[in-house]
Amino acid sequence: MLKIYAALPPRKRMGILAIILGIFAAFIGNPSDATKTTVNIKEIALMAEKDANEINVNDIADWVIKGKMDYRLIDLREESEFNEYNIPTSENIRVHSLLNSDLKRNEKIILYSEDDLLASQAWFILKATNYKSVYIVDDGMEAWKEDVVLPTCKCDTNPTNEQKELHAKREEVAKFFGGAMQADGGNDITVKKDLPKLKAPTKVTLKRTRTKKSREGC
Amino acid sequence: MTAPFYKFGLFNDEVSFIIAFVLGLAFGFVFERGGFGSGRMLAAQFYFTDMRVFKVMFTAIVVAMIGLFYLNWIGFIDLSLIYFGDTYIMPQIVGGLILGVGFVIGGYCPGTSTVAIATGRLDAIVYLLGGAFGIFVFGEVFPYISDFFYSTPMGRITLPELFGIDHGIILLAVILLAIAGFTGADWGEKYMKSKKEGK
Repeated sequence: MLKIYAALPPRKRMGILAIILGIFAAFIGNPSDATKTTVNIKEIALMAEKDANEINVNDIADWVIKGKMDYRLIDLREESEFNEYNIPTSENIRVHSLLNSDLKRNEKIILYSEDDLLASQAWFILKATNYKSVYIVDDGMEAWKEDVVLPTCKCDTNPTNEQKELHAKREEVAKFFGGAMQADGGNDITVKKDLPKLKAPTKVTLKRTRTKKSREGC
Repeated sequence: MTAPFYKFGLFNDEVSFIIAFVLGLAFGFVFERGGFGSGRMLAAQFYFTDMRVFKVMFTAIVVAMIGLFYLNWIGFIDLSLIYFGDTYIMPQIVGGLILGVGFVIGGYCPGTSTVAIATGRLDAIVYLLGGAFGIFVFGEVFPYISDFFYSTPMGRITLPELFGIDHGIILLAVILLAIAGFTGADWGEKYMKSKKEGK
């Protein structure tokens, strides 16, 4: 049998080999299911402890103002919530479609949801599927609203120069994002001013996604 | 280690350019040695006189297909991360026809024309200039045809997804198709040869 095979011209041998591999493949069916993955639990556990995974909302605000573009800010909340209000430069991707999205494994991905819970779960999913740098926004949208857009003044009655400076900066940042400094709620927590209604910022379309598209392929 | 290496962050953009350059050189060299640097050879496909290019192309497709399938099967490569463009069926049919007409008239496809330029062929230089001019014209009229350009979108779709059948069956089907194609090409070559000799 082998002798007959060896006696055939190379192109016929190649053809036979291809057919055999093809028949074998037909029995295998689908080579791999992308939704299943093996996770190195120990590695993930170490990463969770060691890496500085959380990013402060003030840093995000700073980056948005400076127009930094080296990250992808992902809003994991529902579309309606996203449309109602979101952090500028963010894009809405639900957790279940994260792995089908165009996120790349070498991109800096920052996740946020209403609080930490959903973002942490998404962090695990991405880390488990080999995404390199994944971060979550510390306390998510809650922190963004409380610390950036509608911050409360934490100055003493006689603020030091340092505090004044910080106060001015926070006020400026809040203004930039369409919010305002809230009156001091330190003494009387019960009298909390209603949060002004926040509108979704006009959609920031990043040019980046288009250029990326044209760069790949032939 | 899992491929695609670039998407898993094994190397950065700069390194990827170097790798692309080296791969490009190798690709072009093999192309030229395979006879793809000649417009006559390429145009011969359409007259069934020498089907070498057709055979090389189909062989490459089958080899790559089998390779990717089995590398995916053993877990070396993540197929879901391999890039391919979205499907817009109508505009792509039209584009394919335009490319085919240009292919027959000019005797090159965009890749082979650069290979032919490397060997100093004047017709290839003209061909590439024409291609560049076409790109320019396309860019200028794009606003007027963008509706058509983005019509009939089907997203990122593959044959197994479209027909709802297993990857492996498609693989077998393409292999059989290739072998049928090779046999047909052989027959066509023989037929054209006997016709020529008969005259």
